[in-house]
Amino acid sequence: MKLNSFRKKSPWILHYNAGSCNGCDIEILACLGPKYDIERFGMINTGNPKQSDILLVTGPVTKRSRERLVEIYAQMPEPKVVVSCGACACTGGVFRGMYNCEGGVDQYIPVDVYVCGCGTRPEQIIDGVIQAIDILEKKTKDLEESVRLKRPAMKEGAQVNRRNIAAEIETV
Amino acid sequence: MDVFLKILLIALAPVIGGFVYGFERIIKARMQRRIGPPLLQPFYDFLKLADKRKMIVHSTHVFLGIVHFFSLWCALAVLLLGGDFILVIFLHLLSTSLLIVAGYSTRSIFSHLGANRTAISILAYEPVLIMIAVAVFVQTGSFEISAIFRYDQPLLFSMPLAFVALLLILPIKLKKSPFDVAEAHQEVTGGVELEFSGIFYEAVYTAKWLDQIFCYALVYLFAANDPLLGLALVAITFLYVNALDNSSARVNYKQMLRFSIMIALPVAFINLLLSVLHVLK
Repeated sequence: MKLNSFRKKSPWILHYNAGSCNGCDIEILACLGPKYDIERFGMINTGNPKQSDILLVTGPVTKRSRERLVEIYAQMPEPKVVVSCGACACTGGVFRGMYNCEGGVDQYIPVDVYVCGCGTRPEQIIDGVIQAIDILEKKTKDLEESVRLKRPAMKEGAQVNRRNIAAEIETV
Repeated sequence: MDVFLKILLIALAPVIGGFVYGFERIIKARMQRRIGPPLLQPFYDFLKLADKRKMIVHSTHVFLGIVHFFSLWCALAVLLLGGDFILVIFLHLLSTSLLIVAGYSTRSIFSHLGANRTAISILAYEPVLIMIAVAVFVQTGSFEISAIFRYDQPLLFSMPLAFVALLLILPIKLKKSPFDVAEAHQEVTGGVELEFSGIFYEAVYTAKWLDQIFCYALVYLFAANDPLLGLALVAITFLYVNALDNSSARVNYKQMLRFSIMIALPVAFINLLLSVLHVLK
Protein backbone atom coordinates (compact mmCIF):
# COMPACT_ATOMS: atom_id res chain seq x y z
CA MET A 1 0.00 0.00 0.00
CA LYS A 2 1.36 3.39 -0.94
CA LEU A 3 1.24 5.77 1.96
CA ASN A 4 2.95 8.68 0.19
CA SER A 5 -0.31 10.40 -0.69
CA PHE A 6 -1.30 10.67 2.97
CA ARG A 7 1.72 12.86 3.69
CA LYS A 8 -0.03 15.48 1.64
CA LYS A 9 -3.16 15.27 3.72
CA SER A 10 -1.73 15.70 7.20
CA PRO A 11 1.45 17.77 7.28
CA TRP A 12 2.19 18.71 10.88
CA ILE A 13 4.06 21.94 11.32
CA LEU A 14 6.86 22.83 13.68
CA HIS A 15 7.58 26.50 13.98
CA TYR A 16 10.98 27.66 15.17
CA ASN A 17 12.02 31.23 15.75
CA ALA A 18 15.76 31.49 15.11
CA GLY A 19 16.07 35.11 16.23
CA SER A 20 13.27 36.79 14.31
CA CYS A 21 11.71 40.15 15.16
CA ASN A 22 8.36 38.27 15.65
CA GLY A 23 6.84 39.86 12.54
CA CYS A 24 6.82 36.60 10.59
CA ASP A 25 5.78 34.60 13.67
CA ILE A 26 2.66 36.69 14.03
CA GLU A 27 1.86 36.07 10.38
CA ILE A 28 2.32 32.32 10.88
CA LEU A 29 -0.06 32.43 13.83
CA ALA A 30 -2.49 34.42 11.67
CA CYS A 31 -2.47 31.47 9.24
CA LEU A 32 -3.88 29.28 12.01
CA GLY A 33 -6.66 31.75 12.77
CA PRO A 34 -10.19 31.93 11.38
CA LYS A 35 -9.35 34.03 8.33
CA TYR A 36 -6.76 31.79 6.67
CA ASP A 37 -7.33 28.55 8.63
CA ILE A 38 -4.60 26.20 7.43
CA GLU A 39 -6.12 23.46 9.59
CA ARG A 40 -8.47 22.80 6.67
CA PHE A 41 -5.46 21.19 4.93
CA GLY A 42 -5.01 18.98 7.98
CA MET A 43 -2.11 20.95 9.39
CA ILE A 44 -1.49 21.19 13.10
CA ASN A 45 1.05 23.41 14.80
CA THR A 46 2.57 20.67 16.94
CA GLY A 47 5.59 22.25 18.60
CA ASN A 48 7.10 18.78 18.87
CA PRO A 49 9.93 17.99 16.42
CA LYS A 50 9.52 14.22 16.80
CA GLN A 51 6.02 14.27 15.35
CA SER A 52 6.22 17.00 12.72
CA ASP A 53 6.85 17.04 8.98
CA ILE A 54 7.38 20.67 8.07
CA LEU A 55 9.84 22.96 9.81
CA LEU A 56 8.90 26.62 9.47
CA VAL A 57 11.89 28.75 10.38
CA THR A 58 11.73 32.48 10.84
CA GLY A 59 14.51 34.95 11.45
CA PRO A 60 18.24 35.06 10.80
CA VAL A 61 20.24 32.37 12.53
CA THR A 62 21.82 33.97 15.56
CA LYS A 63 24.92 32.45 17.09
CA ARG A 64 22.86 31.36 20.07
CA SER A 65 20.10 29.68 18.08
CA ARG A 66 22.13 27.80 15.50
CA GLU A 67 22.82 24.73 17.67
CA ARG A 68 19.14 24.55 18.61
CA LEU A 69 18.15 24.85 14.96
CA VAL A 70 20.41 22.00 13.91
CA GLU A 71 19.34 19.95 16.95
CA ILE A 72 15.64 20.42 16.20
CA TYR A 73 16.22 19.59 12.55
CA ALA A 74 18.06 16.41 13.52
CA GLN A 75 15.22 15.36 15.85
CA MET A 76 12.61 15.44 13.11
CA PRO A 77 12.09 12.01 11.54
CA GLU A 78 12.26 11.82 7.75
CA PRO A 79 10.54 12.63 5.42
CA LYS A 80 10.78 16.29 6.38
CA VAL A 81 10.90 19.62 4.60
CA VAL A 82 12.12 23.03 5.67
CA VAL A 83 10.39 26.27 4.76
CA SER A 84 12.29 29.45 5.54
CA CYS A 85 9.78 32.21 6.18
CA GLY A 86 10.73 35.80 5.54
CA ALA A 87 13.66 37.74 4.19
CA CYS A 88 15.77 37.15 7.31
CA ALA A 89 15.41 33.39 7.24
CA CYS A 90 16.19 33.31 3.51
CA THR A 91 19.22 35.58 3.38
CA GLY A 92 19.74 37.27 6.70
CA GLY A 93 17.70 40.29 5.62
CA VAL A 94 18.46 43.51 7.43
CA PHE A 95 20.51 41.57 9.98
CA ARG A 96 22.94 40.21 7.38
CA GLY A 97 26.53 40.84 8.36
CA MET A 98 25.78 41.77 11.95
CA TYR A 99 28.14 40.46 14.63
CA ASN A 100 25.53 38.24 16.26
CA CYS A 101 23.93 36.78 13.14
CA GLU A 102 24.96 34.10 10.70
CA GLY A 103 22.50 35.18 8.03
CA GLY A 104 20.26 32.63 6.29
CA VAL A 105 18.95 29.31 7.53
CA ASP A 106 20.36 27.49 4.50
CA GLN A 107 23.90 27.77 5.82
CA TYR A 108 23.02 25.14 8.40
CA ILE A 109 20.10 23.04 7.21
CA PRO A 110 18.91 22.23 3.68
CA VAL A 111 16.00 24.52 2.84
CA ASP A 112 13.34 23.31 0.40
CA VAL A 113 11.13 26.35 0.00
CA TYR A 114 12.06 30.02 0.37
CA VAL A 115 9.22 32.39 1.26
CA CYS A 116 10.20 36.03 0.76
CA GLY A 117 8.83 39.22 2.29
CA CYS A 118 9.37 41.31 5.40
CA GLY A 119 7.26 40.14 7.02
CA THR A 120 5.77 37.42 4.90
CA ARG A 121 2.08 37.65 4.12
CA PRO A 122 -0.09 34.76 5.32
CA GLU A 123 -1.08 34.04 1.70
CA GLN A 124 2.59 33.66 0.82
CA ILE A 125 3.19 31.34 3.77
CA ILE A 126 0.25 29.16 2.76
CA ASP A 127 1.53 29.10 -0.82
CA GLY A 128 5.02 28.14 0.38
CA VAL A 129 3.70 25.41 2.64
CA ILE A 130 1.57 23.98 -0.17
CA GLN A 131 4.69 23.85 -2.36
CA ALA A 132 6.52 22.19 0.53
CA ILE A 133 3.81 19.51 0.74
CA ASP A 134 4.42 18.63 -2.91
CA ILE A 135 8.13 18.24 -2.16
CA LEU A 136 7.29 16.21 0.95
CA GLU A 137 5.28 13.74 -1.10
CA LYS A 138 8.26 13.00 -3.36
CA LYS A 139 10.82 12.67 -0.57
CA THR A 140 12.19 9.35 0.65
CA LYS A 141 12.85 8.17 4.17
CA ASP A 142 16.62 8.48 3.72
CA LEU A 143 18.52 10.25 6.44
CA GLU A 144 18.93 13.99 5.89
CA GLU A 145 21.55 15.90 7.80
CA SER A 146 22.58 19.42 8.49
CA VAL A 147 24.52 20.94 5.60
CA ARG A 148 27.20 22.21 7.91
CA LEU A 149 28.12 18.72 9.01
CA LYS A 150 29.24 17.92 5.47
CA ARG A 151 31.23 21.10 4.97
CA PRO A 152 34.59 22.09 6.39
CA ALA A 153 34.50 24.69 9.15
CA MET A 154 34.30 28.28 7.96
CA LYS A 155 37.11 30.74 8.54
CA GLU A 156 36.60 33.62 10.94
CA GLY A 157 34.83 36.55 9.31
CA ALA A 158 34.02 34.76 6.07
CA GLN A 159 30.53 34.97 4.56
CA VAL A 160 29.14 32.03 2.59
CA ASN A 161 27.45 32.50 -0.72
CA ARG A 162 24.00 30.98 -0.37
CA ARG A 163 23.68 30.36 -4.10
CA ASN A 164 26.67 28.03 -3.92
CA ILE A 165 25.09 26.18 -1.02
CA ALA A 166 21.78 25.89 -2.86
CA ALA A 167 23.64 24.48 -5.86
CA GLU A 168 25.42 22.04 -3.54
CA ILE A 169 22.09 20.84 -2.11
CA GLU A 170 20.80 20.33 -5.64
CA THR A 171 23.71 18.02 -6.46
CA VAL A 172 23.27 16.07 -3.19
CA MET B 1 -27.49 -10.89 19.26
CA ASP B 2 -26.99 -8.27 21.91
CA VAL B 3 -23.63 -9.71 22.88
CA PHE B 4 -22.62 -9.87 19.22
CA LEU B 5 -23.45 -6.17 18.83
CA LYS B 6 -21.40 -5.33 21.92
CA ILE B 7 -18.38 -7.29 20.68
CA LEU B 8 -18.67 -5.54 17.31
CA LEU B 9 -18.78 -2.20 19.12
CA ILE B 10 -15.68 -3.12 21.14
CA ALA B 11 -13.79 -4.28 18.05
CA LEU B 12 -14.66 -1.10 16.15
CA ALA B 13 -14.15 1.22 19.13
CA PRO B 14 -10.87 2.78 17.86
CA VAL B 15 -12.46 3.46 14.44
CA ILE B 16 -15.57 5.02 15.96
CA GLY B 17 -13.31 7.00 18.28
CA GLY B 18 -11.43 8.26 15.22
CA PHE B 19 -14.65 9.53 13.70
CA VAL B 20 -15.63 11.16 17.00
CA TYR B 21 -12.24 12.86 17.14
CA GLY B 22 -12.52 14.04 13.52
CA PHE B 23 -16.03 15.34 14.17
CA GLU B 24 -14.80 17.07 17.31
CA ARG B 25 -12.10 18.88 15.35
CA ILE B 26 -14.70 20.10 12.85
CA ILE B 27 -17.06 21.23 15.63
CA LYS B 28 -14.23 23.06 17.39
CA ALA B 29 -13.26 24.75 14.11
CA ARG B 30 -16.87 25.79 13.42
CA MET B 31 -17.14 27.24 16.92
CA GLN B 32 -14.16 29.45 16.02
CA ARG B 33 -15.70 30.29 12.62
CA ARG B 34 -13.13 28.22 10.78
CA ILE B 35 -13.80 25.56 8.15
CA GLY B 36 -11.78 22.91 9.87
CA PRO B 37 -10.19 19.67 8.65
CA PRO B 38 -12.09 16.88 6.84
CA LEU B 39 -13.90 14.26 8.89
CA LEU B 40 -11.37 11.56 8.01
CA GLN B 41 -8.43 13.71 9.18
CA PRO B 42 -7.48 11.48 12.18
CA PHE B 43 -7.16 8.51 9.81
CA TYR B 44 -5.01 10.52 7.40
CA ASP B 45 -2.80 11.41 10.36
CA PHE B 46 -2.72 7.75 11.34
CA LEU B 47 -1.61 6.61 7.87
CA LYS B 48 0.92 9.42 7.57
CA LEU B 49 2.51 8.56 10.92
CA ALA B 50 2.94 4.96 9.69
CA ASP B 51 5.04 6.34 6.84
CA LYS B 52 7.60 8.22 8.94
CA ARG B 53 11.12 6.99 9.65
CA LYS B 54 11.18 4.94 12.85
CA MET B 55 12.78 6.60 15.86
CA ILE B 56 12.54 5.32 19.42
CA VAL B 57 14.01 6.41 22.72
CA HIS B 58 14.22 2.88 24.08
CA SER B 59 12.12 -0.23 23.57
CA THR B 60 10.43 -0.24 27.01
CA HIS B 61 9.12 3.25 26.36
CA VAL B 62 7.43 2.10 23.16
CA PHE B 63 6.19 -1.09 24.79
CA LEU B 64 4.55 0.86 27.64
CA GLY B 65 2.82 3.06 25.08
CA ILE B 66 1.37 0.03 23.29
CA VAL B 67 0.31 -1.64 26.56
CA HIS B 68 -1.34 1.65 27.53
CA PHE B 69 -3.48 1.39 24.41
CA PHE B 70 -4.45 -2.24 24.96
CA SER B 71 -5.25 -1.86 28.65
CA LEU B 72 -7.47 1.10 27.82
CA TRP B 73 -9.18 -1.08 25.22
CA CYS B 74 -9.67 -3.76 27.91
CA ALA B 75 -11.22 -1.17 30.25
CA LEU B 76 -13.60 -0.14 27.49
CA ALA B 77 -14.44 -3.80 26.76
CA VAL B 78 -15.30 -4.45 30.42
CA LEU B 79 -17.40 -1.28 30.47
CA LEU B 80 -19.34 -2.22 27.33
CA LEU B 81 -19.84 -5.86 28.33
CA GLY B 82 -21.42 -4.72 31.61
CA GLY B 83 -18.66 -5.80 34.00
CA ASP B 84 -17.60 -4.45 37.36
CA PHE B 85 -17.58 -0.64 37.60
CA ILE B 86 -14.64 -0.62 40.02
CA LEU B 87 -12.69 -2.90 37.68
CA VAL B 88 -13.36 -0.50 34.81
CA ILE B 89 -12.10 2.45 36.84
CA PHE B 90 -8.98 0.62 37.93
CA LEU B 91 -8.18 -0.71 34.45
CA HIS B 92 -8.41 2.86 33.22
CA LEU B 93 -6.15 3.93 36.08
CA LEU B 94 -3.70 1.16 35.16
CA SER B 95 -3.55 2.29 31.54
CA THR B 96 -2.94 5.90 32.56
CA SER B 97 -0.26 4.91 35.05
CA LEU B 98 1.53 2.90 32.35
CA LEU B 99 1.67 6.10 30.34
CA ILE B 100 3.06 7.91 33.38
CA VAL B 101 5.78 5.26 33.76
CA ALA B 102 6.56 5.67 30.05
CA GLY B 103 6.83 9.42 30.63
CA TYR B 104 9.29 8.95 33.49
CA SER B 105 11.36 6.40 31.57
CA THR B 106 12.81 8.99 29.20
CA ARG B 107 15.27 11.72 30.03
CA SER B 108 13.24 14.53 28.51
CA ILE B 109 12.25 17.18 31.03
CA PHE B 110 8.94 17.86 29.27
CA SER B 111 8.12 14.18 29.41
CA HIS B 112 8.75 14.19 33.18
CA LEU B 113 6.66 17.32 33.63
CA GLY B 114 3.85 15.76 31.62
CA ALA B 115 4.04 12.58 33.70
CA ASN B 116 3.87 14.62 36.94
CA ARG B 117 0.88 16.52 35.67
CA THR B 118 -0.89 13.37 34.46
CA ALA B 119 -0.42 11.89 37.94
CA ILE B 120 -1.93 15.04 39.46
CA SER B 121 -4.88 14.93 37.09
CA ILE B 122 -5.52 11.32 38.14
CA LEU B 123 -5.56 12.59 41.72
CA ALA B 124 -8.16 15.13 40.62
CA TYR B 125 -10.65 12.89 38.83
CA GLU B 126 -10.21 9.42 40.31
CA PRO B 127 -11.82 10.01 43.77
CA VAL B 128 -14.86 11.57 42.12
CA LEU B 129 -15.26 8.60 39.77
CA ILE B 130 -14.96 6.13 42.63
CA MET B 131 -17.50 8.10 44.65
CA ILE B 132 -19.89 7.97 41.69
CA ALA B 133 -19.33 4.19 41.45
CA VAL B 134 -20.12 3.79 45.17
CA ALA B 135 -23.26 5.88 44.75
CA VAL B 136 -24.29 3.61 41.86
CA PHE B 137 -23.70 0.63 44.16
CA VAL B 138 -25.89 2.17 46.87
CA GLN B 139 -28.67 2.83 44.36
CA THR B 140 -28.64 -0.41 42.39
CA GLY B 141 -27.22 -2.79 44.98
CA SER B 142 -24.41 -4.00 42.74
CA PHE B 143 -21.10 -2.83 41.30
CA GLU B 144 -21.97 -4.55 38.02
CA ILE B 145 -22.68 -2.15 35.16
CA SER B 146 -25.37 -4.51 33.87
CA ALA B 147 -27.23 -3.78 37.14
CA ILE B 148 -27.62 -0.18 35.98
CA PHE B 149 -29.50 -1.50 32.96
CA ARG B 150 -31.71 -3.67 35.19
CA TYR B 151 -32.50 -0.73 37.49
CA ASP B 152 -36.01 0.64 37.00
CA GLN B 153 -35.21 4.28 36.22
CA PRO B 154 -32.27 6.05 34.53
CA LEU B 155 -29.54 7.10 36.93
CA LEU B 156 -29.85 10.67 35.66
CA PHE B 157 -33.16 11.04 37.54
CA SER B 158 -32.22 9.05 40.62
CA MET B 159 -28.85 10.79 41.13
CA PRO B 160 -28.56 13.98 39.03
CA LEU B 161 -25.74 15.36 41.18
CA ALA B 162 -23.51 12.45 40.14
CA PHE B 163 -23.98 13.52 36.53
CA VAL B 164 -23.01 17.08 37.47
CA ALA B 165 -19.88 15.74 39.18
CA LEU B 166 -19.05 13.70 36.08
CA LEU B 167 -19.48 16.79 33.89
CA LEU B 168 -17.09 18.67 36.16
CA ILE B 169 -14.33 16.09 35.86
CA LEU B 170 -14.78 15.16 32.18
CA PRO B 171 -12.57 18.03 30.92
CA ILE B 172 -9.78 16.76 33.22
CA LYS B 173 -10.22 13.22 31.94
CA LEU B 174 -10.39 14.21 28.27
CA LYS B 175 -7.50 16.68 28.71
CA LYS B 176 -9.50 19.69 27.56
CA SER B 177 -9.17 23.32 28.57
CA PRO B 178 -9.32 24.64 31.25
CA PHE B 179 -7.93 21.43 32.75
CA ASP B 180 -5.48 20.34 30.05
CA VAL B 181 -2.39 20.79 32.20
CA ALA B 182 -1.34 17.20 31.48
CA GLU B 183 -1.11 17.77 27.76
CA ALA B 184 -0.65 21.56 27.54
CA HIS B 185 0.37 21.79 23.92
CA GLN B 186 2.06 25.19 24.03
CA GLU B 187 3.56 24.70 27.46
CA VAL B 188 5.00 21.19 27.72
CA THR B 189 4.32 20.27 24.05
CA GLY B 190 2.14 17.25 24.71
CA GLY B 191 3.65 16.06 27.99
CA VAL B 192 4.03 12.29 28.16
CA GLU B 193 3.41 11.79 24.45
CA LEU B 194 6.35 14.04 23.60
CA GLU B 195 8.95 11.34 23.04
CA PHE B 196 6.75 9.05 20.96
CA SER B 197 7.22 9.46 17.23
CA GLY B 198 6.18 7.98 13.92
CA ILE B 199 4.45 4.61 14.00
CA PHE B 200 5.02 4.27 17.74
CA TYR B 201 3.08 7.47 18.43
CA GLU B 202 0.02 5.84 16.88
CA ALA B 203 -0.63 3.73 19.99
CA VAL B 204 -0.84 6.86 22.13
CA TYR B 205 -2.72 8.77 19.44
CA THR B 206 -5.40 6.09 19.01
CA ALA B 207 -5.60 5.68 22.80
CA LYS B 208 -6.86 9.27 22.82
CA TRP B 209 -9.68 8.22 20.49
CA LEU B 210 -10.51 5.30 22.78
CA ASP B 211 -10.58 7.68 25.72
CA GLN B 212 -13.30 9.67 23.98
CA ILE B 213 -15.44 6.54 23.56
CA PHE B 214 -14.75 5.58 27.18
CA CYS B 215 -15.87 8.96 28.54
CA TYR B 216 -18.99 9.15 26.39
CA ALA B 217 -19.88 5.56 27.36
CA LEU B 218 -19.69 6.68 31.00
CA VAL B 219 -22.07 9.52 30.15
CA TYR B 220 -24.40 7.10 28.37
CA LEU B 221 -24.63 4.95 31.52
CA PHE B 222 -26.67 7.70 33.15
CA ALA B 223 -29.50 7.05 30.71
CA ALA B 224 -29.00 3.26 30.53
CA ASN B 225 -32.19 1.77 29.03
CA ASP B 226 -33.37 4.92 27.29
CA PRO B 227 -31.29 5.20 24.08
CA LEU B 228 -32.82 8.53 23.03
CA LEU B 229 -32.06 10.13 26.37
CA GLY B 230 -28.60 8.55 26.27
CA LEU B 231 -27.77 9.98 22.85
CA ALA B 232 -29.11 13.37 23.92
CA LEU B 233 -26.89 13.29 27.03
CA VAL B 234 -23.85 12.31 24.95
CA ALA B 235 -24.57 15.08 22.42
CA ILE B 236 -25.02 17.70 25.14
CA THR B 237 -21.85 16.57 26.91
CA PHE B 238 -19.93 16.63 23.63
CA LEU B 239 -21.01 20.20 22.92
CA TYR B 240 -20.39 21.27 26.52
CA VAL B 241 -16.86 19.84 26.61
CA ASN B 242 -15.90 21.43 23.27
CA ALA B 243 -17.50 24.77 24.02
CA LEU B 244 -15.65 24.85 27.33
CA ASP B 245 -12.43 23.86 25.58
CA ASN B 246 -12.80 26.71 23.10
CA SER B 247 -13.86 29.37 25.55
CA SER B 248 -11.50 28.93 28.49
CA ALA B 249 -7.83 29.37 29.21
CA ARG B 250 -5.67 26.80 30.96
CA VAL B 251 -5.54 26.88 34.77
CA ASN B 252 -2.48 25.62 36.58
CA TYR B 253 -2.38 22.26 38.31
CA LYS B 254 -2.96 23.67 41.81
CA GLN B 255 -6.12 25.44 40.69
CA MET B 256 -7.27 22.25 38.95
CA LEU B 257 -6.69 20.17 42.07
CA ARG B 258 -8.37 22.78 44.26
CA PHE B 259 -11.39 22.88 41.94
CA SER B 260 -11.64 19.12 41.96
CA ILE B 261 -11.33 18.73 45.72
CA MET B 262 -13.37 21.79 46.74
CA ILE B 263 -16.19 21.52 44.18
CA ALA B 264 -16.36 18.27 42.22
CA LEU B 265 -15.62 15.95 45.16
CA PRO B 266 -18.16 17.56 47.54
CA VAL B 267 -20.82 17.39 44.80
CA ALA B 268 -20.10 13.67 44.38
CA PHE B 269 -20.10 13.21 48.16
CA ILE B 270 -23.46 14.98 48.63
CA ASN B 271 -24.81 12.77 45.88
CA LEU B 272 -23.57 9.71 47.78
CA LEU B 273 -25.20 10.93 51.02
CA LEU B 274 -28.49 11.59 49.20
CA SER B 275 -28.35 8.12 47.67
CA VAL B 276 -27.80 6.56 51.10
CA LEU B 277 -30.71 8.58 52.56
CA HIS B 278 -32.89 7.58 49.61
CA VAL B 279 -32.14 3.87 50.14
CA LEU B 280 -32.61 4.06 53.93
CA LYS B 281 -36.04 5.67 53.46
